[in-house]
Amino acid sequence: MAARYYDGVTADVQDVTLKVTSHELLINRSEDSALVARWPVAELVVLGDSHHEAVPPLALRGSEARLVVEDPAWRAQLVSLVPALKPLALEPVKVAPRLGTYSLAIVALVGLFWSAIEYGTEYAVPLLPYTLQAKLGETVLDGLLADKETCQGQAGLAAINRLANDLAREAGYRHEVTVHIVEGGPVNAFTLPGSILVFYSDLITQAKDSSQVAGVLAHEIGHVVHDHPIKGVARAYGIDLLFKVLTGGYSDILSTFGTGGGALLAMRNGRAFEREADATGVRLLEQRGLRADGVSTFFEQMIEKEPSDAASAAGIWSSHPPTRERIEATKRPPTGRPAFSAAEWQALRNVCK
Amino acid sequence: MAPTSVPATAPPQGPAAAPGSAWSPDLTPSQPVYDGRLGELYAIYLRHLAMMLVTLGWSRFWGRTRIRRYVWNHLSVLGDRFEYRGRGIELMIGFLLALLLVAAWSGLMYLVWLYVFHEKPFATFGLFDLFSLSVVLIGFPLAYVGHYAGLRYKLSRTRWRGIRCGMAGSAWGYGAIATFLQFANAMTGYLLTPVVSVNLARPRIVNTRVGTQGFTFAGRAGDIYGRYLGYYFLNIVAWIAAAVATFMAIGGTIETLGFSSDDFLKLFAHPSLHTVVVVLLIAFAAYLVFGLLILPLRCWWQAYLLRYLVTHSRADNVLFATAISTWQMWGFLVLNYLIVLLTLGLGWPWVMHRTMKLIAGQLWIYGAPQGSEIRQPTDRGPGYGEGLLDMFDVSGV
Repeated sequence: MAARYYDGVTADVQDVTLKVTSHELLINRSEDSALVARWPVAELVVLGDSHHEAVPPLALRGSEARLVVEDPAWRAQLVSLVPALKPLALEPVKVAPRLGTYSLAIVALVGLFWSAIEYGTEYAVPLLPYTLQAKLGETVLDGLLADKETCQGQAGLAAINRLANDLAREAGYRHEVTVHIVEGGPVNAFTLPGSILVFYSDLITQAKDSSQVAGVLAHEIGHVVHDHPIKGVARAYGIDLLFKVLTGGYSDILSTFGTGGGALLAMRNGRAFEREADATGVRLLEQRGLRADGVSTFFEQMIEKEPSDAASAAGIWSSHPPTRERIEATKRPPTGRPAFSAAEWQALRNVCK
Repeated sequence: MAPTSVPATAPPQGPAAAPGSAWSPDLTPSQPVYDGRLGELYAIYLRHLAMMLVTLGWSRFWGRTRIRRYVWNHLSVLGDRFEYRGRGIELMIGFLLALLLVAAWSGLMYLVWLYVFHEKPFATFGLFDLFSLSVVLIGFPLAYVGHYAGLRYKLSRTRWRGIRCGMAGSAWGYGAIATFLQFANAMTGYLLTPVVSVNLARPRIVNTRVGTQGFTFAGRAGDIYGRYLGYYFLNIVAWIAAAVATFMAIGGTIETLGFSSDDFLKLFAHPSLHTVVVVLLIAFAAYLVFGLLILPLRCWWQAYLLRYLVTHSRADNVLFATAISTWQMWGFLVLNYLIVLLTLGLGWPWVMHRTMKLIAGQLWIYGAPQGSEIRQPTDRGPGYGEGLLDMFDVSGV
């Protein structure tokens, strides 16, 4: 058996022949048969395996010397004499079946991963410690409100917080909801993790009546009770992770595509969340016997101001469904009790004064 | 003995001994040989991908190691194969340490925010803004530090003829020089590129070791400035030409089709499959214009630079040369990029295979080292590696 021997001390190469006895591997120089080394069979180790290494080096445990047997037939012969050296000559890899198996496994795993992101978050997110969600929400809120003035009218804040918690309890929600009112615009409201709602005062002052504010509030409570903010974060993170895992992050431009794709998926999730919050908001108002037409009249007011409808124009890039679709879905008769008493509504209108 | 290459083509003209020198070294040419098979590499890679999905990416340290073992051991120089002895756990420890570093940095940034930026007038500058900005600022130099330290780790786990390779020098020093040079280059409109290229190549070449054998580098920026200035100004002309060609092509198409900007907005907001295909085709056509006009010039310069760097490096009496052409550099820089892009990353093993073949086909080695003169180093290299590279840079295999 011919091999190449490296002594581990210098980069010299010696062509050698090998002979296996019952206890030893004898290494002799090819040119003059001089004994180069005697390696006890029990101390032999194979570095790597023939599935990864073209020729796995043979070494003596604890030594830096190496023996390389290039010829596969001789390696096989060595293995037949010393079975412990099996990694030297493993069965050759059948590439095609292996590629097929791994490809199928990857497709299945991507499907599984995708399902976990799409449906798993539904069940996993409520298990996330609420204190963590609240901490995250408060941190974001701190940043958002840092340069803003908040409205401090106690009676108005009490009114909106009272209704928010009534609606949340109606949905069986266990945590306290807190509503903050920021002075000025835009005409908007949003929800943060940890049951934190933020309303802009322009929304309140430009509302035609209290049912519109109640409708928007009910919609936001819909986000709260379905854990939309934290589900959004979890899904965005999951999609990002899936993309990174699949592409290995090997290309900047792929990351750019990935970010774009992730944003599109986030928008799609956003539209689904908005539809669910609309439906839940209206249902909660109806369950409590309150006027539930505020959501649709609020959207009608938006359409009057901006007939082109930004959500519809933005299409797949919009985080909200087209406004006309939302009006149709939330249209209700103007019946039921007012959500706020006259005094509460007055206090709310004056919350920033 | 590992397969040795039989030159199919004549080697590039080898370096000559210094005039008047009595020493006449053996300058027999040889080439590295890569005998890896694409299918086998894909089998390892796809297994790695599947494991990545199962472990949410945590198996990457072991996957990378397996791929390296395959690639290293299928490459041989002077008939002797390389050996990769790194371990996945070492990469994971490196990553965790880098994670600790980032955690400590986050803590520091939190304190800065709390005591400096929390109150007005800086209140709009939130904690996330501060952290993102600071990571961008430290990430740039740390990516260079990571590059150097990562190279040191890889070399320390690489053996040839049983002898460990290695890398001397300071990764932090390299990071400082690289940051300064790249900043200066950007400030001077990239007119310092030859200075940057030579001065960043030098520490990597002269600090590389095969056992006790070091390398020398005799390159000077002045040698390559003429070619670079030619490339620099031709590049400006090419950009103008590409911009004019693109503008005319797109402008003409819009006019012909009678599209308004509103029509375009509608198309992008509610894209049909047809729109997606057309957008992809337009993007591909734009890339082709870019690829045909701009990139060949860049490849012309890069091929020249690589030839210069290789031929000015040596390891004692072993000299190196390459005749890599502009076209081959195009295949390396542009085609490989397109392969990765169009396959959404799945073409990575193919790119790796092509790169190894290119190295084997284009690198010439003149002479052979005195094996008995090269000794095993006492330094075993770092105990872990590549954490910074993993954290701050795209870290492939």
